Amino acid sequence: MLKAIIIDDEQHCIDRLQLLLGNHSETIQVLGSYSSVEVGKKEIDRLKPDVVFLDIQLNEDTGFDLLSQFERIDFEVIFTTAFDNYAIQAFKFSALDYLLKPIAEDDLEQAVKKLIKQTGLRDTSQRIETLFHNFKREIGHSKKLAIPTMEGLVMVDVDKIIRLQSDVNYTHIFIATNTKITTSKTLKFFEEILDPQQFFRTHKSHLVNLKYVVSYIKGKGGYVVLSNGSKLEVAVRRKDLLLQKLKTI
Amino acid sequence: MSYQLKRYFSFLLLFLIVAVCHAQSTLDSLKNELIENTTRDTLRIKTLISTSAELTYTHPKSGLSYADEALVISQETNWKKGEALALRQKGNLYYVQADNLRALDHFQKALRLSVDLGDDELSSTLNSNIGHIHADLKEYDKALERYNAFLTFAEESNNIPNQIRGLSNIAIVYNDLENYEEGLPYLEKALKLAEQEDNDFFQAAIINNLALGYKGLKEYQKSLEYYHEAKGIAESIGNKYILTSALNSIGKVNILLGDYDAAEKAGKEALSLSQETGTIEWQADSWEVLSKVYEHQKNSVDALDAYKKHISYRDSVLNEEKKAELARKEMQFEMEKQQTAAAQEIEHQQLVKNGYLTGAILLAILGIAGYFFYKRRRDEIEKKKISDFKAKVAETELKALRSQMNPHFIFNSLNSISDLITKNDTENANEYLIKFSKLTRSILENSEKKWISVQEDQELMELYMQIESLRLKNKLSYTFQVDDDIVVEDTLIPPLILQPFIENSIWHGLAKKPEGGHINITMKKGDGLIHCVVEDNGVGRSKTLPIQDGKSSMGVKITRNRLEIINTLEETKGKIDLLDIEGGFRVEMMIPFELQF
Repeated sequence: MLKAIIIDDEQHCIDRLQLLLGNHSETIQVLGSYSSVEVGKKEIDRLKPDVVFLDIQLNEDTGFDLLSQFERIDFEVIFTTAFDNYAIQAFKFSALDYLLKPIAEDDLEQAVKKLIKQTGLRDTSQRIETLFHNFKREIGHSKKLAIPTMEGLVMVDVDKIIRLQSDVNYTHIFIATNTKITTSKTLKFFEEILDPQQFFRTHKSHLVNLKYVVSYIKGKGGYVVLSNGSKLEVAVRRKDLLLQKLKTI
Repeated sequence: MSYQLKRYFSFLLLFLIVAVCHAQSTLDSLKNELIENTTRDTLRIKTLISTSAELTYTHPKSGLSYADEALVISQETNWKKGEALALRQKGNLYYVQADNLRALDHFQKALRLSVDLGDDELSSTLNSNIGHIHADLKEYDKALERYNAFLTFAEESNNIPNQIRGLSNIAIVYNDLENYEEGLPYLEKALKLAEQEDNDFFQAAIINNLALGYKGLKEYQKSLEYYHEAKGIAESIGNKYILTSALNSIGKVNILLGDYDAAEKAGKEALSLSQETGTIEWQADSWEVLSKVYEHQKNSVDALDAYKKHISYRDSVLNEEKKAELARKEMQFEMEKQQTAAAQEIEHQQLVKNGYLTGAILLAILGIAGYFFYKRRRDEIEKKKISDFKAKVAETELKALRSQMNPHFIFNSLNSISDLITKNDTENANEYLIKFSKLTRSILENSEKKWISVQEDQELMELYMQIESLRLKNKLSYTFQVDDDIVVEDTLIPPLILQPFIENSIWHGLAKKPEGGHINITMKKGDGLIHCVVEDNGVGRSKTLPIQDGKSSMGVKITRNRLEIINTLEETKGKIDLLDIEGGFRVEMMIPFELQF
């Protein structure tokens, strides 16, 4: 049985989530619901829940303000939000789960299933850390990407990613340190979250960090040669756009 | 006196030409060589010039043809030095024929060539020859300048004969100016060199001139000695011309000294020699000497006869001289005229050049200004076109979003949810709401995108049709068929481009049909386009037309605009056809086939 608490500043949202979680009463027990950062912090410390359903906008504060008060986060966090593309992007980056309001029943079901699978690993701190790291806006600051793998979560500096290659439903990520990470996320997932100014889909199976392109070899679509020596095919339709991007770098 | 000097120039001139070319060849052997060897090469040019040079003094007119041929061959073979030599020879020939104008012209042409060639020796000889012409024209300053240049080069190149020529010529100019004192040192220096060289002809000529100088200075005794010396050398080298001149001078000086016997002797000897050679000027001189001698002997008959002869010969000489003088004046006039004409021509050309230049600059400025104006105008038009297009794009995007999220749809959906709630059908109300929010979210997200995959678009349209189906109490069914040769993940279409037609079918075709109906959507590939068909079995357009509210046509209009923008950007030929069919309505749309990769 998982212990859960809900933190949201709107009662109808709490009510709806409680109603929906009622369908999962054999796996999740809602210990309480709170509407402010202050109370939420206190109650988390007291109740030590396994999972917190956390709204992003909490009156004048945010759910992030709440999380930043913990030194170590040993509970799972599922963010709930109505519409915030920027935050959703950040969650995807940090491999954090989220639910969109109004919450669809099947979405919640998916989230609960994942919770049951994940409990015990408890790498939440790491992911929240990654989230906060990515929120920093400093010059020359490189974002970190939390990549779920078979062995667990791997944090990767985005600037260190040379390229990504799709392999059916898996993606191989090649890092500058000469390591390869394989994840069950699709290449499309990464294409959507990574900065399109930096990463370019040269081919159906290839997403390339333009920073590591050393040369372009002419051809029908041609090839790009990367600093690690790999030579990748460029799709005919991506050629013009690629050359345009390479020029602007 | 002047004609004597002129002859003296000619001696030197002749020497110059021969010295440069085949000095030792005789005329006959040269002519033979020309007949035997007809190859048009530098050797022939040299031979031709030598032949012409040989003829300079004797037959200048026939010498001209040789020089002309040399000139032609030189130009043919592009031998610049040959050309310069031929020109100089032609100049010499004209000079001998007293055609100074042409002579000068040829010398100057030759000089230009030799300066270009950097041939200093040739240039210096030409300077000397041009100096002769200046001396003849009594332009003594210019003559001295040229002779000095010639002399300087001769000294630099250690060419003794040319030093002698230079020195002599300078001295002769001073003599001509009656500035004997200035001239004598040059002559003495020249004489020393000539003695060194052991050149009798030079010695004879120089001594003759020295004698003339001392006579001018009234040092008759010294003058007489020099004349005797000149006479001696002239006899030994057999130069009758100098010999005659010296004898006449001896006669004249002796008269001045009062030695009439010696004068008579010299005069008679000179007369017979000059009669022998047919030299009129010397005959005139000889008769003058004899007339004075006879007068002194009181032999008035002979004196008168001699005087008459002297006058008659002198007149003919004077006539010649006058003719020469006239020719000289004419030439000077001609030269001045030419110079004026040349100056005018230069001025005119300068004016024309300036005119052209000004015109060109003006034209260039006008052209540049015109271009800038044109460019600015063109850029403005281009800018306006682009901004217009951008405005149209933005406007269409906004309108597309609004047509997809149109208030009708929003409030009808909310109304349906409200209706379900009042009827306590919470399950359906919930399902409706979740789908509605999902669709709304997707539309908002995708409204920023120009293209999405067919797969995503299909999901959106199905979501939309599901919502409408819920509202119509499941009276609506749909099928969505995409041909296998369209890979839905990789094929792109503009988001929700078919939505307005689906909406039309639902609202104006099926909603009005009590038993409900079916919408069939198909996508096929062909001709680089995707052929999309939205077909319904509703009531058709004919029934809906009278009550058309304009909104549906608005949706179609926006879609047409979107397609037009795509056609402009991608240079494609997408189009929309609205067709009434038996028991329904059909929309055919061609959109460009775009692949993601």
